[in-house]
Amino acid sequence: MDLAEAFRNYEDKVVDQWVDYTLSSYKSSTFFKKGPDKFSNPVGGNTREALGKLFKLLTRGADPKEFVGPLDQIMRIRSIQEFSASEAVAPIHAVKHITREILAKDSERKQFIADLYDFEFAVDMAVLAAFDLYMQCREQLYKVRIKEIKTGTIILTDSKCPSNLLNKDKGDPVQIQV
Amino acid sequence: MALAKLEQLSKSVVQGPSLATGAVPTKDWMETPVIFKEGNFAYPAKQEKVEYLDSQDGLSFPNARIWSPDEDDWKLPENWQETILKGLKERLDKFRSLKIFMDCCVRCGACADKCHFFLGTGDPKNMPVLRAELLRSVYRNDFTLAGKLFGKMAGGREMTVGVLKEWFMYSYQCTECRRCSVFCPYGIDTAEVTMMLRELLHLVGVGINWILEPASNSNRTGNHMGLQPHTFKDNVDFLAEDVESLTGVKINHTFNRKGAEVLFITPSADVFAEPGLYTAMGYLALFEQIGLDYTWSTYASEGGNFGLFTNNELMKKLNAKMYAEAKRLGVKYIIGGECGHMWRVIHQYMDTMNGPADFLEVPRSPITGTVFENAKSTKMIHISEFTADLIKHGKIKLDPSRNKHVKATYHDSCNPARAMGLLDEPRYILDHVVPDWVEMPENTIREQTFCCGSGTGLNTDEIMELRMRAGLPRANAVKHVIDKHDVNMLSCVCAIDRATLSSLMGYWNPGCDVCGVSELVGNALVMDNEKRAMGYDAEGNESELPDGLRTMV
Repeated sequence: MDLAEAFRNYEDKVVDQWVDYTLSSYKSSTFFKKGPDKFSNPVGGNTREALGKLFKLLTRGADPKEFVGPLDQIMRIRSIQEFSASEAVAPIHAVKHITREILAKDSERKQFIADLYDFEFAVDMAVLAAFDLYMQCREQLYKVRIKEIKTGTIILTDSKCPSNLLNKDKGDPVQIQV
Repeated sequence: MALAKLEQLSKSVVQGPSLATGAVPTKDWMETPVIFKEGNFAYPAKQEKVEYLDSQDGLSFPNARIWSPDEDDWKLPENWQETILKGLKERLDKFRSLKIFMDCCVRCGACADKCHFFLGTGDPKNMPVLRAELLRSVYRNDFTLAGKLFGKMAGGREMTVGVLKEWFMYSYQCTECRRCSVFCPYGIDTAEVTMMLRELLHLVGVGINWILEPASNSNRTGNHMGLQPHTFKDNVDFLAEDVESLTGVKINHTFNRKGAEVLFITPSADVFAEPGLYTAMGYLALFEQIGLDYTWSTYASEGGNFGLFTNNELMKKLNAKMYAEAKRLGVKYIIGGECGHMWRVIHQYMDTMNGPADFLEVPRSPITGTVFENAKSTKMIHISEFTADLIKHGKIKLDPSRNKHVKATYHDSCNPARAMGLLDEPRYILDHVVPDWVEMPENTIREQTFCCGSGTGLNTDEIMELRMRAGLPRANAVKHVIDKHDVNMLSCVCAIDRATLSSLMGYWNPGCDVCGVSELVGNALVMDNEKRAMGYDAEGNESELPDGLRTMV
């Protein structure tokens, strides 16, 4: 019996609690926790899928670069919801506490808590990667907004079309470039 | 020990001050006030736009002023409460459907998890049942015996400023897509509840600019952009020249031509903004190839009808314009382009507002002889119906290999799909114009299609985050077919979709483009005497129109 075995043994339980904790950050989370598939329940489905994949990577000593895939799946969603940066990232941390708690309750395996350093370091790396992703998503969001303003899909209002030049707004002198 | 730390983690961040998400509710929904802050509301309508609309015959848009939702004082008229309740009474008397929707909900919850706004935000007030309850609670309080006697115990509540603010928040977090209605065992059309909420808000001068400015433009010049006739004509001419330079075929289109057989009306975004203008080029190429006797109109130069998002009077007025022009020009019938909500107005409301259009003929394709009995009353057919019929009868030659740069999927635009049942025609067209295309998962298409997240006039940049949340269920399904089938093109039949899905893909699925089905038709169309231009494909090889109508030459 070793830590790897303990992780395998408790993988489903840890991931379930991790998903539950993450989804509890939503105001009305019952459906997100229960919804059947990721198409009818994108937040719940993607969270479950991403955290499941991430747990495997964290416990198997994977290269932190591999964390980006599942982390993107979850952070892309949380970055545009009404969370502060810390709220968006916080659930990634939670797996450390959940794992310790579960192992502590198992008298045969609680000795492995002392061996969790590598795992917890991997979680720390994942948290840092999650914060990078959060920032990337925010920047991308603003780029999308700027592109919309620049390319004319905003044209329905404040249009620069010639006929609008005839439309003298209060205090806005009409400038015709020659 | 560990558990204690986890609790601390939750306390320090997860229960921090958060608006729609992030904290476990400790109060009843009625006691949870809305908080407006930059980014969660669309900007209010400009004073001069409201004044202009209010000055128009048959329209009433009172209380024009400068105000903002994030200020405490919304500068409501003194008797605002009386106005709202009187307005509600009038509507309950006038619209039998509203009265039924207010009475017959049993709160089974079938709709609760079907709304893209709920799925993207986790905010319970975005459950359609609760969004309707925002109005229903006031209805109960003032218009039912139980509510009058027992008030809150009977689910009633008084109309207060807080309630009004809540109405504004959540009636503009609904795109009237009607997905929830598909699942309602009682057939409650929650979109109509949202429509009533918005109508009532307009009675006291609460509306958003991104709806009222296009609506006033449309009333003034005939289209959302406010393009005047010469500009509209120039834009279409420009697109016709582009088609000629790409295909070598001169386009002979006309404007405001009396005696044409068909009047063609499409959203003005198709002649002005990418990627819609490629769709418009597709229309021009198709009509040229089949020699359709048709005309554009610079007066009815807008398919969209932002009146649908405002109130029934404005919707009626804007819709009437299309038919007035058809009458003036003496056409036989109307073909409508790829628009979303135009079709909801035509299919569900036109007949009782401005119809039946007895002065027109039942649409009959001059090329195939098909009579479109489905449009017997409205006399208006969808370009996809018309094109699918041409393909079915072998009247146009299509070469799908001309779309070999495209691996498409198809997004059922909410209104054509759910409000007029246009499900198979666009798919039939796709089968014939692209080498291969794939469907998204079945609970995200056809009647169950997910909205783009920015319909009903919510396509404004100041609420970009909200739009991305609301578009998550759609983008999530697109991502699935991108990962699984290398899809690179999201096709649709709606101009608002073409604009909103472009931004949605820009965030969720960069690299996936958006197009109209008619653009793919234009790409695949083999035209008489064509001389197709050369361009460079992604690998740098020279070939004929490697990007179809988007090829830069």
